[in-house]
Amino acid sequence: MKLNIVHIFLSIIVFVSCQENVNSPSKIDKFPPIYPDYVGVTVPATIAPLNFSFPDETFDRVDVVIKGKKGNEIHVNSDAVSFSCSEWKSLLESNKGDSLLVTVCLKQNGNWKQYKSFPIYISKYPIDYGLVYRLVAPGYEVYSKMGIYQRELASYKQTALYENTLVTGSCVNCHSFNKTNPDHSSLHLRGSNGATYMNINGKAEFLNTKTDKTIGSFVYPYWHPTGKYVAYSVNKTRQVFHVAKDKRIEVVDLESDIIVYQPETNQVLTSDLLKTASFETFPAFSADGRTLYFCSAEKKEMTKEYEDVKYSLCSISFNPENGTFGDHIDTLVSATKINKSISFPRPSYDGKYIMFTLSDYGNFSIWHKEADLWLLNLADGSVRDLKEVNSDDTESYHNWSSNSHWFVFSSRRDGGLYTRLYIASIDDKGKVSKPFLLPQEDPFRYYDESVYSYNVPDFVSSPVKWDIKEMEKGITSKERTQVKIKK
Amino acid sequence: MNKVIKYLVRTLPFLFGLVVFLFFAFSYNNHLHYEEQLQMFLFTSDYWLDLIECPGGLADYIGTFFTQFFYYSWLGALIIAFLLVLLQQQISMLVNKIKRNELFAPLTFIPSILFWQLLCDENFLLAGLVSALLTLLAVQIYSFLKNPIARICISVVLLSILYWLVGGIFWVFGVLSLIFEWVYFKQFSKKQWLISIVLLLLFVALPPLVAKNYLQYPLSRLWWGLSYNRYPIVSPYPLLIIWLSLLIIPFVFKYLSTEMKKNIKVLCFTVQIVLLIFAGNALVRLTADWSKEEIMAYDYSVRMKDWNKVIAMANHKDPSAPLSVACLNLALSKEAKIGDCMFRYYQNGPEGLLPSFQRDFTLPLIVGEIYYHLGFLNTSMRYAFEAMEAIPDYKKSSRAMMRIAEVNLLNGEYKVAAKYLRMLQHTMFYSDWATKALACIGNEKKIDMNPEWAMLRKYRLEKDFLFSEEEKDQMLGLLFLHCPTNRMAYEYLMAYTLLTKDLNHFVQYFPLGKNLGYKEIPAHYQEALIFAWSNHSSDLEKTPWPINSAVKQNLLSYANIYSANKNSEALLFSGFSQTYWYYLHFRK
Repeated sequence: MKLNIVHIFLSIIVFVSCQENVNSPSKIDKFPPIYPDYVGVTVPATIAPLNFSFPDETFDRVDVVIKGKKGNEIHVNSDAVSFSCSEWKSLLESNKGDSLLVTVCLKQNGNWKQYKSFPIYISKYPIDYGLVYRLVAPGYEVYSKMGIYQRELASYKQTALYENTLVTGSCVNCHSFNKTNPDHSSLHLRGSNGATYMNINGKAEFLNTKTDKTIGSFVYPYWHPTGKYVAYSVNKTRQVFHVAKDKRIEVVDLESDIIVYQPETNQVLTSDLLKTASFETFPAFSADGRTLYFCSAEKKEMTKEYEDVKYSLCSISFNPENGTFGDHIDTLVSATKINKSISFPRPSYDGKYIMFTLSDYGNFSIWHKEADLWLLNLADGSVRDLKEVNSDDTESYHNWSSNSHWFVFSSRRDGGLYTRLYIASIDDKGKVSKPFLLPQEDPFRYYDESVYSYNVPDFVSSPVKWDIKEMEKGITSKERTQVKIKK
Repeated sequence: MNKVIKYLVRTLPFLFGLVVFLFFAFSYNNHLHYEEQLQMFLFTSDYWLDLIECPGGLADYIGTFFTQFFYYSWLGALIIAFLLVLLQQQISMLVNKIKRNELFAPLTFIPSILFWQLLCDENFLLAGLVSALLTLLAVQIYSFLKNPIARICISVVLLSILYWLVGGIFWVFGVLSLIFEWVYFKQFSKKQWLISIVLLLLFVALPPLVAKNYLQYPLSRLWWGLSYNRYPIVSPYPLLIIWLSLLIIPFVFKYLSTEMKKNIKVLCFTVQIVLLIFAGNALVRLTADWSKEEIMAYDYSVRMKDWNKVIAMANHKDPSAPLSVACLNLALSKEAKIGDCMFRYYQNGPEGLLPSFQRDFTLPLIVGEIYYHLGFLNTSMRYAFEAMEAIPDYKKSSRAMMRIAEVNLLNGEYKVAAKYLRMLQHTMFYSDWATKALACIGNEKKIDMNPEWAMLRKYRLEKDFLFSEEEKDQMLGLLFLHCPTNRMAYEYLMAYTLLTKDLNHFVQYFPLGKNLGYKEIPAHYQEALIFAWSNHSSDLEKTPWPINSAVKQNLLSYANIYSANKNSEALLFSGFSQTYWYYLHFRK
């Protein structure tokens, strides 16, 4: 009995000494300098905990209280901010459609200071299972370790789908899924074992996509909503390098066209309107699959006139019943009129919008500091700068969630070189929320120590089921299915 | 006699270690500097976890830990000598346990000599040697266990753990433990033998197969080892020979005789020593690459900005490899001697001035230095980045990281610079530099207090253009025009036109340097100018430039011999091989 009392007493002492309650804090009328900046962001209810830190502050202790407007609360009092996954999940679930209020206090030099409380909004819209992206160093021509990874959004769990250690010297890029459905996927592998890996409902195929009638191998992919076609660009690309300090790389097309591939027949469908002397690239099917959007620019002498190449957003009709194209091209957004260049058009799956990247010239906007996200409203044809998500640095490569209420994009705002992923929501009225950085367990340390950039992010509605052993066998076997041009 | 052999046996490890140390400290030291720059050991938990999550991770971690000390080549030499002697001592302890036989003690040096040979290949990593040491340590632990059942159980556990800690060599533990059972313990029953062999086969086959389910590597690499060589695909046979020697020597010791006549003993011992010396010498010579050592020596001196040392090396022996010549030309330029002296050394064209980019992890690191000193900061950063990305084992390069951080700092990309500098703060030898550089973040005044940085910020181009391998002269011209005090840019432009034998452009660009403060026109420029003049006029006195009369006289002598003899190259060599004219006519 005596022992139990002593034990309890000691436990209380230990507990109390670990908890340093906030005592008479001085009030600071500004938001806490947290990293990542989660002040006022909108998140889905299933997102992993938004841990944050204070890289520019030294402190002895931090106290965070998060109160849900509909009830429930989390309290952390420690030397770092790390929320319990179960508590966080419960808090967000119970406050779906409403908001949380976060109050942060820091203890510095023995004194507490309390910052202005800030909201985090919990969207009513669900988000997909996860993201798939490539991790690669932001290099030039040479690449070291890279891979395609899947990240579960409800946790910090990241799994490797394909790493280039599996087949020495391989390079992977341009993974693509059909409206976030990973049962239809496409991936390019470059190198001596090059192929386009296609997986449809678990059936894998390794394609040789070079033909004597097309410029080169398949490049930028986009699935038809039926899954029966995949649009690709075919490009002859060159990298050039800037000498002055503000820029690094320019990736230019020497030639580019668009084709549509039919997996069932291994046939390549072409149209003369999509393989002109102009540069056609970045194909994307509309939500109903009856229109093929793409970017087109007047051919210029490369690389001499690289700054004069500006892409317009165009479209051509497409008949999915017989795989034929329309007889004319429409220009939705003219590069000449706006004197800018459009890349990566991404129609929302609900048919309302096309999001694209706008830059001063060219098509490889990820290396353009001025690149920003814009939104074309398909209902009224208006375009607007997505000021809510853009920054002074690059915003580029974006994709929609399956319900078209979330989008993910790459941004270089976090330092200027390494691209990070941000997610933002868009409601039924087109209102876009403040984006939030993909959460990590220890975000500052994770991102600061990471030597990889996030490329080509895309949502997936369920885990990707690539059979890695089958992939290795297929890649190394060098047996390829040859694609054929449909006559 | 036994006392003499005993004394020699005790002395041999020390002598061996001394020879190894001297070799790596004085003859092959630049290889150590080269290896040091191709890793970046970080004192962080993430770095540890990153390595340990793969088979062989512990050996890789320890190996890389030691490699960072190659920063000081004498220390690297000491470490290699210590590890090789340690290996010999471990073998010695094992064989002494089986059957003490000092007469054949020299045989215990064989694996160390073989490793020494392998270490002459700059791409063979210390992890290979460390993994052997750890494996033998496991065998030593095994050898202390008295109970056979305990030994069987421990061997299964150790096999599995060893695979993860040391990688592909792990099976050597299993086989050595069986050898110990056979020649030393002799306790196993037939049943125990059967169980041991089956377990050995199972626990040698299983770990790589299990690893294959979790890691994306080819099975062959998971089997042979991930971290022994910088290249992912290499022949496993050199390592296999060493691994087999670890097995054969203890086994053979059991059967070697300890009883011999005195004179036979002497002969036997001496023959072993002589054979080992000859064989070791031959093997090391076979693998040691002295032409690479030369390039690495030049590169190291460039990296350390020891320009006089570069020039002294060239004075001792003319470099011929383009990379070495490029280093020499850089040193000559930094010492304001390029215009006067470059053709006193062997020149191999523009590739010996500004070598073209190649996708590897050596050339861009070296050539990046040239672009850095010229003021092409973006280009030097690109080269450093490319070199680092080209490292085949995907490790980072401390040297490249430093250059990348430095250029980002000079370019005002402070956040990016800070990221790299924080990484470097977790290294042993770059931490201080990184901390000082971090203090300059956002502080242009502090940056400019570094004279080299201040100068490079002035040289750095503001007006952009695209880098072109085919238009280096134009790039150099634009660089010079941006900052007409950039003497190196001017001299490289002149050198480029001379090396490409483009005398028209040489004469055209020559006046650009009039305000650079030359007391007189550099010797080779005079040679080129007077030669260009002689193509238009026979009257050398009427040249529009102040050419020394000695140069004019020399040209006349040269021209006489050149025009009078069909095969004048040999004739002209002795008197004129150090002139520009000789290069112009006879170097391709």
